[in-house]
Amino acid sequence: MMSNMIPGLVMILFSIVLPVIPNYFRHPAMLLSVFLSSLSLFNGYGIFLEWDILGLNLILYQSDSLTFPFAIIFHIAAVLVIIFSWHNKNLMEQMATLAYAGSAIGALHAGDFFSLFIWWEATALTSVFIVFAGNTLASRNAAMRYLIIQVSSGVLLLIGTCLMLYQTGNHNLATLDLNSDFGKFIFIAFGIKAAFPLLNGWLQDSYPESSVTGTVALSAFTTKLAIYALARTFPGTDSLIWIGAIMTAFPVFFAVIENDLRRVLSFSLNNQLGFMVVGIGIGTELSLNGTVAHAFVHIIYKALLFMSMGAVLYRTGTTKASELGGLYKYMPLTTIFCIVGAMSISAFPLFSGFVAKSLIMSSLGGAGMVLIYFVLFFASAGVLEHSGIKIPYFAFFAHERKTRVKEAPLNMLIAMGIAAFLCIGIGVYPRYLYQILPYAVEYQPYTLDHVISQLQLLVFAILAFLFLIKFKLYPSEIKSTVLNSDWFYRRMLPGIGRPFFKMVSNVIEKFYFNLAFVFNFLLGKSKKYNNSSFIKVTTPSFATLILIIVLFIMLLIAVI
Amino acid sequence: MKKNDLKKFGEIFTKYILIISILLILLDFTFHRHGYFSFEEIYGFPAFFGFISFVFIVLVGKWLRKFLMRKEDYYDE
Repeated sequence: MMSNMIPGLVMILFSIVLPVIPNYFRHPAMLLSVFLSSLSLFNGYGIFLEWDILGLNLILYQSDSLTFPFAIIFHIAAVLVIIFSWHNKNLMEQMATLAYAGSAIGALHAGDFFSLFIWWEATALTSVFIVFAGNTLASRNAAMRYLIIQVSSGVLLLIGTCLMLYQTGNHNLATLDLNSDFGKFIFIAFGIKAAFPLLNGWLQDSYPESSVTGTVALSAFTTKLAIYALARTFPGTDSLIWIGAIMTAFPVFFAVIENDLRRVLSFSLNNQLGFMVVGIGIGTELSLNGTVAHAFVHIIYKALLFMSMGAVLYRTGTTKASELGGLYKYMPLTTIFCIVGAMSISAFPLFSGFVAKSLIMSSLGGAGMVLIYFVLFFASAGVLEHSGIKIPYFAFFAHERKTRVKEAPLNMLIAMGIAAFLCIGIGVYPRYLYQILPYAVEYQPYTLDHVISQLQLLVFAILAFLFLIKFKLYPSEIKSTVLNSDWFYRRMLPGIGRPFFKMVSNVIEKFYFNLAFVFNFLLGKSKKYNNSSFIKVTTPSFATLILIIVLFIMLLIAVI
Repeated sequence: MKKNDLKKFGEIFTKYILIISILLILLDFTFHRHGYFSFEEIYGFPAFFGFISFVFIVLVGKWLRKFLMRKEDYYDE
């Protein structure tokens, strides 16, 4: 019976019954559900569950060599999140996290666009509660914006899917052409969740507002699901190479000046997605392997970094660089784990980032793309800057701390320990990672050329940092907000829209007022009940007006 | 006492990084480093590129503050 149950569904079922489980057993139950779901990993490849409904054939559960590595890492991430949040008694967040992870795993195994759409929306609707769980006014507002953006992505996906079904009679998950109409809709839908340039505002807006544990969960699933979806439907799409390259380079500058360290990590997450998108754009077996490998290791070290910052937030109440520093003395283990994560993301040899990033860089080199190669090389220095140095430096060193804090709780240390172990383990024994990649490609990351080049890049970049600090050229931490692409819908659109709507409503109100005057006049002439309660002319409220306009537009559309 | 800890750590760290970077540059002279592109094989190119990129990123980021930085409560109406 378990063999053709959709992976992840059992986690959602568990999340529904979570409220009736006593507090003490909730986390073990969550782990149990992840374990039960992970049994699906042993099913092998194939189509396991289909459903014919409304004349559509939905493939609810399929797996192949591309879903497999993602399914493994999603299960690992779910376990890490559950252990890391063991101390957390917030039921809403527990339910949302488990259902969110389950939906993401379910989405991986969807074999057609309709089932993918259902899971796509499920991840949006469950994860918004995780942002909510930040439990501040800022997080509530961010959650609403997050929901709007995520659901828009789902709606675009649905439009694309319907168009596809209408035009081709097929809705199975397959490679699409970006030149087709439906291809464009689906591309943008994926692009929103993959945080393409200018579509990325939601990520840096919402992730840092979430709770201590919530950000860790958020960082793992949504964006990597989008990477999976892009790898499945748009491999070898040239424009992805450029989009990806821009994604690697631009967030780097924002991360330098951002004060909130969890937001710095969100910019860094965006930059990492760029590497994966470039890999999808190249579309060779080596580069797609690189994308999958990078997504795999990235989930672990990014979770590790977010966990270390979560621990800092938990103990100090802030992740603002301007208020932190000197924590190495009080949180030595967290410091070490954070540095392991930082070295992994910076791709130091013997750490997991190195063995994954090399694949993408090699495929770029092999394809002879000089410019993109150097953009990514440049971005690698940027990764070292914001994630490799800035995060550990400002949180744990920078200057002495006056007030004493405790080391992170045991459950957090265990979760960080596991993640750190995986980061080093994969870095030292990359063959285990390479074995589960979609294509069988012989690759040796540890050549003398690679190692020396990478070490030169990194060590001299660190030297540059020390040089900048020495001569006081490094930008100091300043309490501030850094404008990002969410500015367009948080400031620009309301800035234009509000006065415009006010003007329109004023005009309409005036028109109605005059109309009422005319009516009054006419009615007053014909009948003498001017003040009777029957004939009271009121100006319609703005809401009714909008309703009328919408109805009118719908009528127009229906007529056309 | 307390203040010296971090400073001392910083000095030791700087010393090691300097030693390692000198070693890495010297190592480049001992063998021919293969790259995908010809200028990548120039002596010490990754080192040079890493240093310059880092300085560039930080200084440009600092300059961008002029355009992108707002007060902390910028969005709170």
